[in-house]
Amino acid sequence: MAEQDKPKKGGIFQVFKDIVYGMSSHEMTRHAVRSRASMEHLFILITMGDLLGVPILPPYYSLRLLPYVTPQISTWKRRMLRERDITDTLG
Amino acid sequence: MSLRQVFESHPERRYIMFGGKGGLGKTTLSATCAYWLARQGKRVLLFSVDPQASLSDIFQKDIFGKGAVPIIDNLWAQEIDADKRIQDYQNEIRQKILDMYGFDKVPEEIDSYIASASAEPAMEESAIFDAVVDIIVKGDYDYYIYDLVPLGHALYYLSMAKVYDEWINKITKLREEMGQYDRVAATLRREEKVEEDKILEELQYIKNRINTSSRILTDKQRAAFFFVLVPEEMIILDTRKAAELFARFDVPISGYVVNRVLPQELRAGNIPTYLKNRINMQEKYLGDIRSSLGNQVLAYVPEMERDITGLPMIERLADRLFQ
Repeated sequence: MAEQDKPKKGGIFQVFKDIVYGMSSHEMTRHAVRSRASMEHLFILITMGDLLGVPILPPYYSLRLLPYVTPQISTWKRRMLRERDITDTLG
Repeated sequence: MSLRQVFESHPERRYIMFGGKGGLGKTTLSATCAYWLARQGKRVLLFSVDPQASLSDIFQKDIFGKGAVPIIDNLWAQEIDADKRIQDYQNEIRQKILDMYGFDKVPEEIDSYIASASAEPAMEESAIFDAVVDIIVKGDYDYYIYDLVPLGHALYYLSMAKVYDEWINKITKLREEMGQYDRVAATLRREEKVEEDKILEELQYIKNRINTSSRILTDKQRAAFFFVLVPEEMIILDTRKAAELFARFDVPISGYVVNRVLPQELRAGNIPTYLKNRINMQEKYLGDIRSSLGNQVLAYVPEMERDITGLPMIERLADRLFQ
């Protein structure tokens, strides 16, 4: 990870801060990031739906958005098309 | 009121549209109108948004996809090449993907999506709509006259604009919510900066384009919409229906032009029964038009002895129309 290459500053205080972060807001951050990710998928579904055969956005304009979502397209397709099972409800 | 009086009393109406069923003479009337305005010293752009544009035929000059081509002093004509516009646009998108991610070539999945998107029927209409916005936003001319595609398409454009607008509002809201989650995560992580959302910018751009294009059609101050009809039952009924629909979409209708009226002088001569019957039929429907549309009819255009192509014919028609 790039952050480990950086010189540490703050020493013991930084460690303490990280611990507090881990105990208090890590879970919240994770939740925010996860919600954000589901919304990202929802967003791609409603803009790029015709990739799955669901035409929603006028294609002329959906093309304008395509460059920005290019990296997500393959993970998004996998998520939308995969079969659901019991483990989905866990975690 | 005559067509001439409408133009003279409303100089602020700069977006002129002729609508009506196919083959009734929209192109002829828009060309004639453009010709007359140009002769009055106004800078006029006459353009066609019809994929089967016929401005090239009426001016007897190949102007398809060549941008604004000068016809006479102050008059330019343009036929939008939707296919080429779509192609250029696709290439632009491909290039953007290559530039953004430093790819050597566009990933296959993405590329086939780009290719298949252009096969969608709505693609051409959107591309044309977008081209119209480009032309009008530039504002190089006093008058923009467009030879509108047949009624169904025009209505489709308008309804499309409304639906898209609402749709984009919803997406924009979702995108803004997503931004809030980003900011929450960033604050909790004590990160300083949140990446600005390029997608939100694009959405706002798209919304703005769609709004501009529907505003052009529904601008009560600056747009004038003329219906072209001929004295025949089916056409009168269709026009009435279309006028109701247009009213529902807030398109300001400035008047009607009745085209292809057989000259009354014919009656004097010894004419075949066929022609006599046609004249009688027209007489009946002209009566219907007068009683239902009355002074909203701005001109009755005579059926000429030959088709209207070439500048001398257009000039003759303009003289009669704006006398």
